[in-house]
Amino acid sequence: MSRFFFDGEPIEAQPGDTVASALYRAGRRIFTRSFKYHRPRGLLCLSGHCPNCMMNVDGVPNVRACVTPAREGMRVRHQNAWPSLEQDWLSAAQHFDSLMPVGWYYKTLTHPSAWHVAEPWIRKVAGLGDPPPPDAPPREYEHAFLQAEVAVVGGGPSGIAAAFEAASGGAQVILIDDQPEPGGHLRYTRPGEAPASIAQLRGQPNVELLARAYCFGLYEGGLLGVLQADPHPGAHERLVHLRAKRVVVATGAYEVPLLFENNDLPGILLSGGARRLLFLHRIVPGRRCVIVGIGARAEDLASDLRGAGIEIVSLISPDEVLGAVGSTRVEGLRFRGGSVTCDLIVVCGPLLPDAGLLSQAGARLAWSAAHGAFLPADLPPHVTAVGRVTGSGLEPAVPLPPGEVRAGKRHFVCLCSDVTSQDLVDGISEGFEHIETLKRYTTATMGPCQGRMCQLPAIGICARETGRTMGETGTTTARPPSPSVTLGALAGPRHHPVRRTPMHYQHEALGAVWLDMGAWKRPRYYRTAESSEERRCVQGEYQAVRERAGMIDVSTLGKLEVRGRDAGRLLDKVYTNRFSDLRPGRVRYCVICDDAGIMLDDGTISSIADDHYFLTTTTGNLEFVEQWLEWWLAGTGWDVHITNLTGGLAAVNLAGPQARDVLAGLTGLDVSAKAFPYMACRQALVADIPAILLRIGFVGETGWEIHVPAESGEDLWKALLEAGKAFGIRAFGVEAQRLLRLEKQHVIVGVDTDALTSPYEADMAWVVKLEKNDFIGKAALSRAAGDPREQLVGFVMQEDGVPDDGSAVVMDGRPAGRVTSSRFSPREGRAIGLAWVPAGLAGEGAEIRVRVQGRPLLARVTRRPFYDPEGARLRM
Amino acid sequence: MTQLFGNNRMWRSHELKKSYDVVIIGAGVHGLATAYYLGKEHGVRRVALLDKGYLGSGSSGRNTAIIRSNYRTPEGIPFYDASVKLYEDLSRELGWNVLFSQCGHLTLAHTDSGVAGLRVRAENNQLLGVDSRLIYPEEIRRLVPSMYLGAGQRYPILAALYHPPGGIIRHDAVVWGYARACDRMGIEIHPFTEVTAIRVENGAARSVVTTRGEIAAGAVLNATAGWASTISAMAGVPLQIVSHPLQACVTEPLKPFLDKVIVSATLHVYVNQTDKGELVIGAEIDPYQSYSTKGTLPTLEQMATYTLELFPQLHGVRVLRQWAGVCDMTPDFAPIIGAAEDVSNFYMDVGWGTYGFKAGPAAGKYTAEMIATGKTPKIIEPFSPSRFRTARLVGEKAAAAVSH
Ligand SMILES: Cc1cc2nc3c(=O)[nH]c(=O)nc-3n(C[C@H](O)[C@H](O)[C@H](O)COP(=O)(O)OP(=O)(O)OC[C@H]3O[C@@H](n4cnc5c(N)ncnc54)[C@H](O)[C@@H]3O)c2cc1C
Ligand code: FES
Repeated sequence: MSRFFFDGEPIEAQPGDTVASALYRAGRRIFTRSFKYHRPRGLLCLSGHCPNCMMNVDGVPNVRACVTPAREGMRVRHQNAWPSLEQDWLSAAQHFDSLMPVGWYYKTLTHPSAWHVAEPWIRKVAGLGDPPPPDAPPREYEHAFLQAEVAVVGGGPSGIAAAFEAASGGAQVILIDDQPEPGGHLRYTRPGEAPASIAQLRGQPNVELLARAYCFGLYEGGLLGVLQADPHPGAHERLVHLRAKRVVVATGAYEVPLLFENNDLPGILLSGGARRLLFLHRIVPGRRCVIVGIGARAEDLASDLRGAGIEIVSLISPDEVLGAVGSTRVEGLRFRGGSVTCDLIVVCGPLLPDAGLLSQAGARLAWSAAHGAFLPADLPPHVTAVGRVTGSGLEPAVPLPPGEVRAGKRHFVCLCSDVTSQDLVDGISEGFEHIETLKRYTTATMGPCQGRMCQLPAIGICARETGRTMGETGTTTARPPSPSVTLGALAGPRHHPVRRTPMHYQHEALGAVWLDMGAWKRPRYYRTAESSEERRCVQGEYQAVRERAGMIDVSTLGKLEVRGRDAGRLLDKVYTNRFSDLRPGRVRYCVICDDAGIMLDDGTISSIADDHYFLTTTTGNLEFVEQWLEWWLAGTGWDVHITNLTGGLAAVNLAGPQARDVLAGLTGLDVSAKAFPYMACRQALVADIPAILLRIGFVGETGWEIHVPAESGEDLWKALLEAGKAFGIRAFGVEAQRLLRLEKQHVIVGVDTDALTSPYEADMAWVVKLEKNDFIGKAALSRAAGDPREQLVGFVMQEDGVPDDGSAVVMDGRPAGRVTSSRFSPREGRAIGLAWVPAGLAGEGAEIRVRVQGRPLLARVTRRPFYDPEGARLRM
Repeated sequence: MTQLFGNNRMWRSHELKKSYDVVIIGAGVHGLATAYYLGKEHGVRRVALLDKGYLGSGSSGRNTAIIRSNYRTPEGIPFYDASVKLYEDLSRELGWNVLFSQCGHLTLAHTDSGVAGLRVRAENNQLLGVDSRLIYPEEIRRLVPSMYLGAGQRYPILAALYHPPGGIIRHDAVVWGYARACDRMGIEIHPFTEVTAIRVENGAARSVVTTRGEIAAGAVLNATAGWASTISAMAGVPLQIVSHPLQACVTEPLKPFLDKVIVSATLHVYVNQTDKGELVIGAEIDPYQSYSTKGTLPTLEQMATYTLELFPQLHGVRVLRQWAGVCDMTPDFAPIIGAAEDVSNFYMDVGWGTYGFKAGPAAGKYTAEMIATGKTPKIIEPFSPSRFRTARLVGEKAAAAVSH
């Protein structure tokens, strides 16, 4: 015995109870209110297939109570009814149904102002359950990955037999079943007669049983999406990605309701639902029962119900039934020639093959009048179907298409959205004759039951009204996931990888404020003892670099090694400038363009030896550049090997007028301007660590980019800080770097350039060597050379104000360009920046208007770097 | 009100005639809108709309129906603005409610460069008269109280581009409303009529061969979106288009908790809640070319993951359906509208990629004007097919890639 709470009231639950069975036993008959008319609805299928028992369980909306095991302390609430399920004020809506015929919302409120008033009200009454607030406690979900030779979906008698057979042949088998125990429909049609094969199956070492698990998708490549509930106490649900060589679908059949007036009243159960209450939960669902059905199925049911002490008042054939009587629950049944009173109606509805998965996998669904169902045909080669899903043992419960359509406003076809047979008939007469358009117009089949309950009657009505056969009418497309799956299970454990450089914790100790750059964390700036204000900290870092020395972690740069006899040839082909003539020990700036001449990335290439180059790429583009090189290499037969060293190397850029003094204290290498000039590279020990040193200067000062093995990154960092102490060195972050490089008008690809920028427009014609044989983008660049429409230029503000990145350049009140980067330059005492302007405004000294806080302020174009335009400091 | 109860036949079916003044291939929103404006504004009514499937079976019935005009370029903004304005009045004009909900549209930025990119759009929008501005976490929290802006987010929300007139529409209602209006003007709609060839004689498109027979045409319009390159190949017209699937999914209905459209390019996801209460979630395009309209598991998982980043409380909400449509991608994320360069009588209104539903009315109106008058209206000139030859691309990628 356990206890949970429903709307605050304690409810006793017995072992094996679901939330719904415990509530039913406690006397509850209304479980939900319907979507549109707020009609009372009670348990119907007890198999998780209909929308009738959706409740809020522990804060989660729309949970099927009939397949949710009752657990101690659970908090269950009703939804979509106010104030209670018994007295829902919105049920008044059903009296206005004549104002809400099919598609009423398309046909009314066509004046925009009327619609704007009405829409919020329509929204308010729509929807089912309430989602929890954003800070609600999370739940654990898992992902798992399994392989099997044979996956069997469905643990009924035929699934068990198929699993057993495959396992006996030696195959490794996974059997997926959504019930707590295998046995399928036998569990509630022949209780106590579990097939002997269940025990045998359990004895097979090569069979794994996934219980309380269902397959919701049969995707390409033999991938099954499987959702398992409560895999272990630590996880709420587990999504299994199961790859199987062969798939056996043994999903059986499910039962759907019949169409008659008030067919949705509480107290009307499907035969499977009644049997489940009786045999799985030992609940006697009523006293006086009418059975609607024909043949042996109805007779069997009658005898089972009688065995439980239920009086069978009458057994009526579906085509005799006119309607159920009652307002909030069943009180009787009207049929041709009479009526009876009763407190329970059990319907032997059509049994339909649960063929959604097969259809998703590409099977055709063909109408079979003999079975009264669409049966799977033309299965893909790796999929087989066995048991009732193939139609075996199924027979029609009602003639389809129907002899006549009982069009009525209380004949519910779609329980999820309250679509009646009248609605369907009206929709068809308006021109929605194709089942796909009929579905979209009436919304039948589009609700939480995913069309399970309503697809067949809807097709029947459509066929009958349009004079076509069932086969001609056809089904709508089956789409995954079916059954539905929670977002949590799909998302799985919420892991978002974070990339940290080897010096991450050094930065943390120095007070770094972080910035996200792709998956990387980089210091934006460092707080100091004096201040944590960004502007002041950045200013301090800036000054250190310009006046003394600074160091920045650049480990996030992409780093590639390109080796082999033809390495230079490949680089000549992919990059716009020439590298085959780069002498060992030299570095060159490089740009990649695509075949339209658009800049994709930039970086540096250092020649280590004639057949050995060291490349850097921008932080975000490493994977792309690596693939791009491999792509252009493929098929050439050239001797080139590309190795990604990014994770293996840490890098620091040391820069400033005293950088040389700092470095000299740590290495035996001659770092004088003569021995180690600008744009040179060397290999040497720095602080006893083997390093590659590039003498380059993004920030505009004498500087070295020092690459060392990742495991020594922290040591290098600490050694540089220590050695630099005497010179007043400071670590600087990305923000200071952005300002420093802006004073040099150094472009950042992807920040200052966009998806249409050519090197000409970016003012970098010098990186394009059109005289080179062929390279990617040559043809487009040759054409573009003389004719940029827009130009990336530097500018200095002539009025107070610092434009934000992305501000517009305006001309006569219209957009004429945009600022890509702008900062206050301590050097200029004004804001400076880079901006795109029309070619006509790109001349030195041209006046442009830049929007700052919405005001067009004057700025002047300058194409010379603001700082050290000759680059003398770089070469010092 | 009267139409609630009266005779409501939406459209009729017809035998194919031997010839039409204009034959439009593709009965999605673009084909339908073009037919509608041809009939309404130019009196051209001997028009046949052909579609290989049912009405709206292409992307027009598969999209996530986001309508907005907060684009990036001075070419794009006025065009989409014109389209939104046509949509604003469409229910009244058609006498058919297309359920256009101008609930407001937020594009989130999670990085500095994201913020700068949104600012470019805000600035250009404002200069060109489109209501759009950058807002910051405090105001975002006020507008969307159900979104998680708390601690521990991997990519915290730094700012958003807020576009009050943006919103969502009922896509099928637009298709049906235009179709009904076309039918009433005598324009013929022929579903299940697949075009298999186009006859070009002396450099001019003369007739269209279909599964129901051949029809002579005064002018032929290619409005087949995802299949655009297959149709133009029939006429021997090269197109700078590749087709990629784009996936979306929808959840069970919930009580209203989100009344804004939320888009995040960093998280490759966008989310909104329909009037019925369902959550509609969309992804970025599949990374490969294909005409498949099947959903895949990894993309579904990705949509779920990113939705939960923004709305972690929805973990127990169930996905009901997942689907895909085929998107006709151009290199610059701008459409191709115009007369073919080397084949006369052959027009196209294609390249609508992941963002063309909102463009339907304006594209239809100006395409109709182009076909009826033989002159290309200024507002669609930047989208002409010749731009690939003259390297005058439109830089719309940053505003169109995920934000549909
Ligand atoms: C998942 C998804 C989400 C989207 N979200 C949005 C969004 O939020 N906002 C937005 O503005 N846009 C969005 N889009 C894009 C938008 O849906 C399309 O750009 C737009 O619908 C294109 O309309 P269309 O009329 O040109 O094409 P379609 O509606 O695709 O119509 C083309 C028609 O051509 C027919 N056809 C093809 N070949 C032939 C042939 N040989 N003979 C006859 N007929 C043929 C097809 O059957 C089809 O019906 C989205 C797209 C998808 C797939
Ligand atoms: S009664 Fe629970 S889903 Fe049908």
